[in-house]
Amino acid sequence: MAYEGLDFYDIESQLSEEEVMVRDMVRDWVDEEVIPNIEEACRDGRFPEEWGKALGEMGVLGMTIDEKYGCAGMSYVAYGLVCQELERGDSGLRSFASVQGSLAMFPISAFGSEEQKMHYLPQMASGEWIGCFGLTEPDYGSNPGDMITRAVEDGDEYVLNGAKMWITNGTVADVAIVWAKLDGVIRGFIVEKDDVGFSAPEMTGKHSLKASVTSELVFQDCRIPKDRILPNVKGLKGPFSCLNNARYGISWGAIGSAQACFHSAKEYALSRIQFEHPIASYQLVQNKLAWMLREITKGQLLALHLGRKKDDGSWFPEQISLAKMNNVDMALEIARMARDIHGANGILDEYPIMRHMANLESVKTYEGTHDIHNLIIGRWITGIQAFTRTV
Amino acid sequence: MGFQSKGCTLRGTGDKMTEIAVLVKRVPDTNAQILVSGDRVDLSAVKWVMSPYDEFALEAAMLHKEAKGGNVTAITLGNADCDKVLKDAKAVGVDRIIRVWDDSWSELDSNQAQSALANVIRDLGINIVYCGKSAADTGAGSTGPGVAERLGWASASNIIGLEFEDTGVEAMVPAATGNARTGVSLPAVISCDKGFCKPRKPNVKGIMMAKRAQVEVMSSDIPSSSVNIISHSPPPKKAPGQTFEGASEVPRVVAALRNDANVI
Ligand SMILES: Cc1cc2nc3c(=O)[nH]c(=O)nc-3n(C[C@H](O)[C@H](O)[C@H](O)COP(=O)(O)OP(=O)(O)OC[C@H]3O[C@@H](n4cnc5c(N)ncnc54)[C@H](O)[C@@H]3O)c2cc1C
Repeated sequence: MAYEGLDFYDIESQLSEEEVMVRDMVRDWVDEEVIPNIEEACRDGRFPEEWGKALGEMGVLGMTIDEKYGCAGMSYVAYGLVCQELERGDSGLRSFASVQGSLAMFPISAFGSEEQKMHYLPQMASGEWIGCFGLTEPDYGSNPGDMITRAVEDGDEYVLNGAKMWITNGTVADVAIVWAKLDGVIRGFIVEKDDVGFSAPEMTGKHSLKASVTSELVFQDCRIPKDRILPNVKGLKGPFSCLNNARYGISWGAIGSAQACFHSAKEYALSRIQFEHPIASYQLVQNKLAWMLREITKGQLLALHLGRKKDDGSWFPEQISLAKMNNVDMALEIARMARDIHGANGILDEYPIMRHMANLESVKTYEGTHDIHNLIIGRWITGIQAFTRTV
Repeated sequence: MGFQSKGCTLRGTGDKMTEIAVLVKRVPDTNAQILVSGDRVDLSAVKWVMSPYDEFALEAAMLHKEAKGGNVTAITLGNADCDKVLKDAKAVGVDRIIRVWDDSWSELDSNQAQSALANVIRDLGINIVYCGKSAADTGAGSTGPGVAERLGWASASNIIGLEFEDTGVEAMVPAATGNARTGVSLPAVISCDKGFCKPRKPNVKGIMMAKRAQVEVMSSDIPSSSVNIISHSPPPKKAPGQTFEGASEVPRVVAALRNDANVI
């Protein structure tokens, strides 16, 4: 039977016809292509290339960007719904789409020159070119402002030196958006896979996001032409604006993971007989299911309201921090609770639970850790930043 | 309320473009649970979708256009609630979407529906009509042949294979002793079974096109109704299943499969 999302508060009534159509398009694709193949992809530790192409064909890569650049110019709510359905399949799949759309295409569209936009965006929207986003370094995760990677001017070129780590899609990327300091100021650079002095070895041994490629980016006197700098942004505002978009998408994505776990837990609880009755008939189990439904419903309302604010431009970044933090937190708790309801079966790859749980550990950390989002909100409440001791 | 035919568009060469139509119907999702309250089916809570066979008809129409050129017009019959199936068709690339309705109509019987569709199809200058072999709600299967009959056109039903020719199509249809390859000249109505093609999926750009597309509403003269529904009733409940446990039950299971179920 076709998957029906949990929609306790009839969120669907608040969606436009085309938002529902986009959601259903991705929902069907995830059911047909992703869910039957995801465990194998995880076992092999690879992101199926054809999924990237399919996302391009569906037109969901960078889907909020202007149609002029081969994108769809759709609403942020539609983008959120896409993230939700993709992450119901797997967080690694949603990560691919987030990185491509929000972290690689968005900075080109927001801060790039017209030539850069015309050159890169249509190819990236179609999935022909894959992008990645290099901000984190081995020694600078939560505080990217202190990054070491540097660019210096040399005639018609910039020369980059340094290393990035934990970069989603790095090894498979054709285009890397790299944040590096030029004269002490953070700037964005477009590095292409064949640029001299650039390499992107894959990181292995992950127990989480196994169907997503994670890489180092290494720059050893990497030379790029001068027209590859993003001309229209300076400082941390550049990477942080990208992160705002991706974090927004994650707040929806986490609902997808939570839904997958809830769905599985509900079905399992109804069919598993212990002490002569389905475990769903016991109050303790019902309490768990009721808690899951409650948290998912709150998360949906939060994401939808934030989406409408993204669309009318009335949002501020702390609202995104709250949504990312809350929804990933609830999804992780739901995954753990769902694992518990499945008993021993919960650890098997026959069920999606353990995979979602392990994935969500990464999702909790990347795009600003849970703690960092608390600090962002704490600063908003008190006016005092608590990231470092020098206040 | 009358309606105006736009006739056919002409190509630069003066050749008439093939005007292709596909009939699509809004039906309850085939997974939906159907309730009968009072003596009428209660559809207030069901999810609505394009009838599954119509998806194959839509794909056939798109393939026809890709093979031989022309325009594809998706046509549905119903009130404004049915616009969604037309938008779904637009999202996969049809050129024009038309809803046949008149606010003075309520539920039409098959004779009325087929007459209304046939009139519109004739006035639009359509050369070939694709439709599903039956709709998932009534399962009657009369629309395709019925429309062809009223138009006096050729008709091929339940087709399971299709090739496009310059002056018609070659359709594979089930026959008493296998399948028959049948040449059909235009104008014609082709009703489609599933499986011979893979219905294409929409993409975001198509969905945006659909969002902007206008549904054209057309009306037509219809005959008066000659049948009326007296009541609906649910199908009889299935008998409960039987459970067998343990190796000692094997002979009983075998006997039941052989004698009662007739499957071995
Ligand atoms: C699978 C995966 C994919 C990723 N993809 C990308 C990518 O594509 N591009 C990219 O640039 N990065 C990527 N990252 C990196 C990610 O953004 C960082 O891991 C994240 O920012 C945290 O940095 P860190 O791992 O260095 O942890 P740290 O910053 O070292 O944090 C460790 C712990 O200390 C806490 N902490 C840190 N500072 C404070 C403080 N001031 N007060 C209180 N607690 C604090 C943190 O909350 C955390 O609990 C990815 C990470 C993973 C796991």
